[in-house]
Amino acid sequence: MKSFAGSTSKAASIKFRMPTRESLIPIRLDLDVDGHRYKDAFTWNPDDPDSEVLTFAKRTVKDLKLPPTFVTQISQSIQSQLAEFRSYGGQDMYIREKIVPLKVDLRVNNTVIRDSFLWDISNFESDPEEFARTLCNDLDVADPEVAPAIAVSIREQLFEIAAQSVSAVREAKLGKKGRRTYDLSKGGNNALDVSKYFGSKGSGVIRKRKDWYMNGPTVDILSNEEVGTLDELNSRLKRKLDEKEDSF
Amino acid sequence: MADSSPAPQQPPSASTPSPVPPPLQTLQQLPTQTELQKPSVGPSLIKAEKPGPTAATPELSTTDTPEIPTAASTVSYTIIIPSCSAWFSWDEIHDTERRLLPEFFDGKSTSRNLTSYKYLRDAIISRFRSQPTRKLTYTEARRGLVGDVGSVRKVFDFLEEWGLINYTPPPKKGKEEPEARGGERKEGSYGKRTCTSCGALCSLQCFTTAKANMTLCAKCFVKSNYQRPGLSSADFKRVDLLEDPRPDWTDKETLHLLEAILHSGEDWKKVAEYVASRPAKECIARFVKLSFGEQFIGPKEEHNGFPEHDGDEADESESVKRRRLSPLVDASNPIMAQVAFLSAIVGPHVAENAAQAAISALSNLDANEATDVTEPSDTETKEASAVNDPIATAQVEIEKEQQDLEQSISDIIEVQMKEMQEKIVRFEEMESIMERERLQVQYLKDLLLADQLAVAQHQHRGAMMARDNVNTWEKLRSINEVIDRGTTILL
Repeated sequence: MKSFAGSTSKAASIKFRMPTRESLIPIRLDLDVDGHRYKDAFTWNPDDPDSEVLTFAKRTVKDLKLPPTFVTQISQSIQSQLAEFRSYGGQDMYIREKIVPLKVDLRVNNTVIRDSFLWDISNFESDPEEFARTLCNDLDVADPEVAPAIAVSIREQLFEIAAQSVSAVREAKLGKKGRRTYDLSKGGNNALDVSKYFGSKGSGVIRKRKDWYMNGPTVDILSNEEVGTLDELNSRLKRKLDEKEDSF
Repeated sequence: MADSSPAPQQPPSASTPSPVPPPLQTLQQLPTQTELQKPSVGPSLIKAEKPGPTAATPELSTTDTPEIPTAASTVSYTIIIPSCSAWFSWDEIHDTERRLLPEFFDGKSTSRNLTSYKYLRDAIISRFRSQPTRKLTYTEARRGLVGDVGSVRKVFDFLEEWGLINYTPPPKKGKEEPEARGGERKEGSYGKRTCTSCGALCSLQCFTTAKANMTLCAKCFVKSNYQRPGLSSADFKRVDLLEDPRPDWTDKETLHLLEAILHSGEDWKKVAEYVASRPAKECIARFVKLSFGEQFIGPKEEHNGFPEHDGDEADESESVKRRRLSPLVDASNPIMAQVAFLSAIVGPHVAENAAQAAISALSNLDANEATDVTEPSDTETKEASAVNDPIATAQVEIEKEQQDLEQSISDIIEVQMKEMQEKIVRFEEMESIMERERLQVQYLKDLLLADQLAVAQHQHRGAMMARDNVNTWEKLRSINEVIDRGTTILL
């Protein structure tokens, strides 16, 4: 077990990509124009032509009957996120055999879903979509909007990790004179070493009973009033945060 | 994950025998109903739908009746798809699909493959068919599907184009095209609206929200029976539906309308009162729709015939002609405005006849005026004509003055010439006088010379005469001096 500790031999320097089977990007939109609030999250295929962005924006505005100023806002936001993703392209990232805990904590319409699980970063055949679908099927989630939200959330976290590894590699290259160790666990990476996790704590692979509740999914269905109150709380919090920011 | 299973609807065998929650669930259903969705709804449901479309006959419309057993009721719908899409079946992927969505089948993309296509297609169609009365928007579809939104859009557009979703056959019987888009009639027209929650017919008022595309009757709105969470009463707009028969305008009403307009011009309130049972807006609409096109031609003709006895008025009529697109426009000349208005109200033929009569009357008037001026007297013809004709007199006077002017100029010239002549004459006289005097002086000089010669002879002869000579010399000298003086005076 200990032989796995700090094994750089397994580190493969590869070009940046999403560590999933399909290289899809999570896009998150949160726009507030003239009092119209629009929040959305979805997956985008980066191979789609850029004209697709405008088409999508127009379609969305038409379907949701938003004011037409949203078209430019939406397409701009999508473009900037796409550009950010593409800016990472071509850069090196080191992906070691790493198991990452991912968290899902979402409220979609009336459904609240919480879960945390381990994800293998080095598995480039992983599929968040499939995972989300299966999860919702297994949990009998009625609302079909939950599954895409879970998939987007997973992708966001994976993207975050991938981006961090790229920046870590860059830092390491810059600091070649000083530091020789590509210690990717620095820099706020919450990845776990397999060895540490499974460690020497006896049973290793089997989780302790008391930890079960933390690591299983929970699904709650809220009633409409609860949803309303939650929305109010959120908006109040947001307002307070904005005020605090302004006062600074 | 070995994703080789062709039918994603099959539940993953590894998990507990909990069925696939039907993708037919839509957001419209109340949350309480989710618990009632029990195992009976599952892959069996999807299979039940299978015989429907495959039994489609190549007729104009095919029917498909899936049953969605809910706890509340068994709702069955009739799904109609156009005959050009009769190839559709749940189990297979048809050539049409392969042809029109090649990116799913050429294996170039990892995300777009057979399974994902089938999943998307089946999910979208099932979703639509769970509520076939409502049009499924792209945004709704892609929010409820796991996958990238680009693929969803392609499949969605394909299905919509082929009428497999969002298809309502057109009312008239004819060849249906794959691009038929139905279901929109409820949205914008004045047709009957039904409440989405209780299904009652909305007669008086309904409340619509754009966010969720919902229409609620007054009762449901009051009960706050919003289907979707996150909606509040502020999102709903009230729509009043009045009985709006909109009958056609009868001739009587049209006549009343025109009379009213004649009387009150553009005061539509009075017009509406006069017409009775027609609101002002309808009066305006009706008036605008009345065919005034022909009336515009009428006044043009009559204005061409107007006599141009007054140059100003003729000009004005030209400009009025051009401006007169609306018969009620104010021309600067009030008479013209009235004429325009009346000619527009009245028919073109009447206007023409009226114009003809007016022209003839005016021409008669002109003839009468002309006859008064005749009968001039012979003797005074010229004068009379000159007098009568102020222009002629003026011209004559102008000529006179010109002549006077010329005369005086010539007189002045004459006088000056005379002056010059007299001067010349005087000078000639003076010259002649001077010539005579010179001659005289010359004669005297000659005499003097002769005398001096004689004297000189005499001196030679006798000295006796010397004293006499001296005297004579002195005399001669004095005479010389006198002559000299005289010549100097003369010169």
